[in-house]
Amino acid sequence: MSSDALQFALDTAQRAVEIAASAGASAAEATVAITHRYHVEARESTIARLERSTARTLHVRAFAEGRKALLSTSDLSASGMHDAIAATVAQAKHVAVDEFAALPESFAKNGIDLRLYDAALVDRDGDARVEDALELERLIRAQDSRIVNSSGSHYQDAESFTAIANTAGFSGAYTSTRASRSTGPVALDGEVKRTAHYGSAGRRLADLEDLPSIAREAARRATDLFGARKPPTGKFPVIFERDVAATILDDLFSAVSAANAANGNSWLIGRAGTKVGSDAVTIVDDGSMPEKLGSSPFDGEGVATQRTPVFERGVLKTFLYDTYYARKLGATSTGNSNGSGIGTGNFYLQPGSDSLEQLIAATRRGVLVLDTIGFATEHASGTYSRGARGFFIENGELAYPVDEFTIAGMYAEMLAGIDAVGSDLRFDAAVVSPSFRVAEMTVSGN
Amino acid sequence: MSFRLQDGCIHEASHGISMGVGIRVVSGESAGYAYSDDLSPEALFQAADAASLIARTCAAGTTGETGIALERVNAAQNLYTDGESAGADAAKYVALLERADVAARRFDPRVVAVNAHVTDEFQKVWIANSDGRLVYDARPMITLAVQAVASDHKERGSGFAGDGGRTSIAFFDEHSPEQLAAEAARIATVNVEAVAAPAGEMEMIVGSGGGGVLLHEAVGHGLESDFNRRGTSLYSGRVGERVASDLVTIYDDGNLVEERGSVNVDDEGVPGQHKVLVENGILRGYMQDVLNARLMNVESTGSGRRQSFRFLPQPRMCNTYMPNGTSTFESILGSTKRGLYAKSFAGGQVEISKGDFVFMIGEGYLVENGRITAPLKNATIVGNGPDAMTKVVAVGNDSHLARRHYTCGKGGQYVPVGVGMPTVKISSITVGGTHHE
Repeated sequence: MSSDALQFALDTAQRAVEIAASAGASAAEATVAITHRYHVEARESTIARLERSTARTLHVRAFAEGRKALLSTSDLSASGMHDAIAATVAQAKHVAVDEFAALPESFAKNGIDLRLYDAALVDRDGDARVEDALELERLIRAQDSRIVNSSGSHYQDAESFTAIANTAGFSGAYTSTRASRSTGPVALDGEVKRTAHYGSAGRRLADLEDLPSIAREAARRATDLFGARKPPTGKFPVIFERDVAATILDDLFSAVSAANAANGNSWLIGRAGTKVGSDAVTIVDDGSMPEKLGSSPFDGEGVATQRTPVFERGVLKTFLYDTYYARKLGATSTGNSNGSGIGTGNFYLQPGSDSLEQLIAATRRGVLVLDTIGFATEHASGTYSRGARGFFIENGELAYPVDEFTIAGMYAEMLAGIDAVGSDLRFDAAVVSPSFRVAEMTVSGN
Repeated sequence: MSFRLQDGCIHEASHGISMGVGIRVVSGESAGYAYSDDLSPEALFQAADAASLIARTCAAGTTGETGIALERVNAAQNLYTDGESAGADAAKYVALLERADVAARRFDPRVVAVNAHVTDEFQKVWIANSDGRLVYDARPMITLAVQAVASDHKERGSGFAGDGGRTSIAFFDEHSPEQLAAEAARIATVNVEAVAAPAGEMEMIVGSGGGGVLLHEAVGHGLESDFNRRGTSLYSGRVGERVASDLVTIYDDGNLVEERGSVNVDDEGVPGQHKVLVENGILRGYMQDVLNARLMNVESTGSGRRQSFRFLPQPRMCNTYMPNGTSTFESILGSTKRGLYAKSFAGGQVEISKGDFVFMIGEGYLVENGRITAPLKNATIVGNGPDAMTKVVAVGNDSHLARRHYTCGKGGQYVPVGVGMPTVKISSITVGGTHHE
């Protein structure tokens, strides 16, 4: 079954490339992705939803004398593919000639196995999947009597077959899996309902945190902030707990994406080779790590993935490139194409040696941020601002819970101000970070 | 189909086809779901089998039904101006982008980059259900979006503007791309000159039009019926209670001509409706889809929406707005001692159960002693839904819907929506800038 799907994906990609060439494309690339998805959501003792589907998509990039057009279609019938690809090639004539638009010149070697596929996950019994979600619902309620409701407990998995072929002679395919367990307990704090979300994800079933531990952590997060109030307004050290720290890394990825740098949307424009962050800032992008969620044997255009040091001891070493932006900006692809733009491999901040508890203990007066809402980053200027919740720290201890406040700063100052990095890095997403502390940010409460 | 402009050139053309069938089987509170983008009979049977697993897993129910007689129902209204995506002249789309690029650069020499795209989509939906109802809807959607970046060699700032709706490219004959691009460029130059926003609690003036993001986040999401049926929203069980100052009235309307959130029928085949959510501060009702309405013993309000056949319908907002009050903009500004005037927002988010929300300023100004004194850098505002709504102390007489470019995300599904609002004053809210003495 699985080798059939992979072969079908590869054959379809190759056929699409042939159609594009015969429709007049001077070069073309086709990507076929087939994904079997499973999703069960439980609430209380019932299954709220059970989804099981197969998605199939074909993406084509067609080049005609330096003009580029893209296609995305789910219609893989012979006539459907033919018509859509011909229309794509025709659409390219409306695009400006761009000397940098072309296929890559060198590609990944075949046969790289990053162990991204877990047969045990695929063979898993349907009842066992359903039971994961139901058991999480039971466990969160058993943790604490103040947990009175839930926004749902989930188990999801996916088995994917990805194939790429192009007119430059590259063809490659790989299989991968991923699974996750997550839950959202609702606790009653007087009149106030507090929801927390916690979960675990990985390529393999065995990578997932076990159900009791997920339930314990989710319940703790839902009840920890009982009685939270606004912190004082002022400038304080801010500790970002691991999962929130990862959202800062998401923003940093946007800033080091060569596409954003080329389009004016990065505050890091003109700073390559300069010291931007503190010595504690070493950030790596690595799409070639075995078994990780951000890994793949080749990127979205068939280029080998690699380990790229992006910041080393605070110095911006490089932006992240696909083939197009590498050509345009005079660099080499770092294997970061996601097919239509630039994506991450495993993008992470190098961990330090302290535990989160030690970071807190070393902070006289400050804020521990456990969760943020909003997405206000103005990338051109590097302005960061979020709603937040967590704890106020006094004399190295969690003094009281805080919510309904904001934290703000300029990214340039935040990176320069990272003065302590935790040891708690884990690879449960493509973009991850250990906890870290920024020496000073503006906290706005009352 | 879509075209993208950067560096003054048409950088990329793209088009896409997404086609398939989604099958939902409902049993009590449970829904089984499967979709297939392979339309062969075998694939459809397989999907139906996967979707109905829920009925076999979960519960007692009637079995043995043998076929349903479908009856075609026509949508009673047509809110859309027909699009022409299929077969439209590509050169017309390209011309829109090129005109926008020129206009943005002409607006101010500090404009250093212009990124723009135009997307024209046509969604054709057939909805059939076991009640025998069969409905068709064909929904156009065009969007032109312009982002400008300005720089004075020291500071950089960006500005965004977008417009369009459930209409055709002819919309831009009346609403010129030059105007839209000039607006993006104007905001970018304002943001170059902007100073650090203040930190702390202060008065806030929420701008008309795009200020409606506040209603969408602070109140709207909390009134979607799935959260209320499950009791996870802070508005659960509070219909008939006071949830806002008596100046606050909020509607959600799926029936507005050409608006992004409008639907002739929703994704369960129910006609779009005008709903009173909050009236003079009193909570009047929730936005319902069919499943939650049945479990709450009420009727669907035509709020069952989905991104595509790949997703289950959810109760969602359509076009959410506040009607006119009686204050003038001048009187609201004049009465503000020290505060923030948020003319437009870049987006927002809410945490449903406690009601804490944020929204992000796209264009904002400091107000001192009744006068606008300085443009402010982007900042996040944080508040609590019912708390902020109780602190609404003035509602302007200038209500209008915002330019049409808003998209709402929920549970991983993105649907187009509209927002609108008059100028509104909130007596106190927390502004998350960096400036603090």
